[in-house]
Amino acid sequence: MDQQGAGGDAEVPAGLGLTAAEYEQLRSTVDAHHRYAVGEGQCSSLLAQRIHAPPEAVWAVVRRFDCPQVYKHFIRSCALRPDPEAGDALCPGRLREVSVISGLPASTSTERLDLLDDAARVFGFSITGGEHRLRNYRSVTTVSELADPAICTVVLESYVVDVPDGNTEDDTRLFADTVIRLNLQKLKSVAEANAAEAAATTNSVLLPRPAE
Amino acid sequence: MSMAQVCCDSAVTAAPVAGPEAEARARARAERRRRAAEAGRWKHAAAAGTAAADATRKRSLEAGELLVARKHGAASVAGRRREMEDAVSVRESFAAEGDADGGGRRDFYGVFDGHGCSHVAEACRDRMHDLLAEELAAADGSGSAATWTAAMERSFARMDAEAMSAGGSAACRCDPHKCDHVGSTAVVAVVEERRVVVANCGDSRALLCRGGGAPPLPLSSDHKPDRPDELERIEAAGGRVIFWEGARVLGVLAMSRAIGDGYLKPYVSSVPEVTVTDRADADECLILASDGLWDVVSNEAACEVARACLRRGRARWCAEAAALLTKLALARRSSDNVSVVVVDLRRRDH
Repeated sequence: MDQQGAGGDAEVPAGLGLTAAEYEQLRSTVDAHHRYAVGEGQCSSLLAQRIHAPPEAVWAVVRRFDCPQVYKHFIRSCALRPDPEAGDALCPGRLREVSVISGLPASTSTERLDLLDDAARVFGFSITGGEHRLRNYRSVTTVSELADPAICTVVLESYVVDVPDGNTEDDTRLFADTVIRLNLQKLKSVAEANAAEAAATTNSVLLPRPAE
Repeated sequence: MSMAQVCCDSAVTAAPVAGPEAEARARARAERRRRAAEAGRWKHAAAAGTAAADATRKRSLEAGELLVARKHGAASVAGRRREMEDAVSVRESFAAEGDADGGGRRDFYGVFDGHGCSHVAEACRDRMHDLLAEELAAADGSGSAATWTAAMERSFARMDAEAMSAGGSAACRCDPHKCDHVGSTAVVAVVEERRVVVANCGDSRALLCRGGGAPPLPLSSDHKPDRPDELERIEAAGGRVIFWEGARVLGVLAMSRAIGDGYLKPYVSSVPEVTVTDRADADECLILASDGLWDVVSNEAACEVARACLRRGRARWCAEAAALLTKLALARRSSDNVSVVVVDLRRRDH
């Protein structure tokens, strides 16, 4: 993702899939959470996914640092590393050990929860170890509600990561974007299915009441 | 012996990860690792008491599976991989030969090396021969190479469609959201009286061991993403191959064709490459195996092992060859599941 200059109008980043009007509503979120100081030998990217479900329903899935397989592909298992002080609480510093399915260029990933802001719906994690080629990977996911032209939720996910020896920025971005795009598509499926189920439940609860 | 394949629950209200379930999973993983460490131990079923000369017996061993028969043998082992995701299919007389001279026998052999989970490979093991039998019954009776190619391509396309529309099997509990990233290789051989027909999709392999000092004849060509014609096809379709621990489609998958893997269509194709090869009197055997073998054993070495077993003159030499090849792969520290099928191609009068 190219760095945008401060202030002034800017074009929507290429490939993001958002309209100018949508991006304008998200600008403050992008400026606050999806900007990185990208160093030499690093690359960065921002992806977006529209989801037709309430933002709180989407956020409920995104924030599950302990159970990423609900919306992420390629995960065989995930175990939160025990923390005697924190117990079950999800708070910054928490670590999870992810085991990856076979056939991929990775087998394990140790990941740290960096940020969990329920009010702002901002989630951040970094990869601190494991068997894979993504070094110094840091990611932020935000869940925002858009009102214009139609009401919907937009999830933005961005990351910064080192470019491995022997690969180009394009290679690295292609690999990471492929995985993230698949995950965001699954998040959309899961959140919309959950919202539809919740709506059906709500309707059935409300149905017997007499009409006013 | 098939190891139970357990995938993550995907329910939103998943049980807490820490706790009895996680402990049980950890114990299961440790047990699987212990078994894999003993993968080298093999025993053959006792020959005594065989009811029929061609009886096929499957012996489950702690670390793998060995199928012993007069005309063929198959061995499968998880090896150093965490899960067993290979599957082997042996279907004798699975379809009637349709040639004018009629009455011939057709035997089906398949090796399926799964990735992401085991259920696509298992579906191939359970269904591919049925789909092919249906396609052959519907085909014209000419038995030409074009007819075989068409039947194989339709069977693979139907298998691919089934793999992608079904969810996981009962054993693995995948839900439809997850199955898009599960797939399998498929190398299939049909052995007739006069010909061997092979269809391949992925990086498993079929090899013909000819006698008389002739070099081994590959009946399939591995579908690696950097094979020049595969790279060209992928890029023409708008995909990319990058080197990320080897050549991978979009940096993700290390083969260019597979059954399943819907998320990588159309770059990862399920169209098989088909060969039709006349049998010769001097032919010794056919070897089908997953890349867990071929990554560490050359075609020539595999044929030498099979030939050595043949020369020992035992009745069940194919099963011995399959088991020995599997042991050899493990000894050479193959990092994958290993599955091997060896088929005796010698004429019946030998």
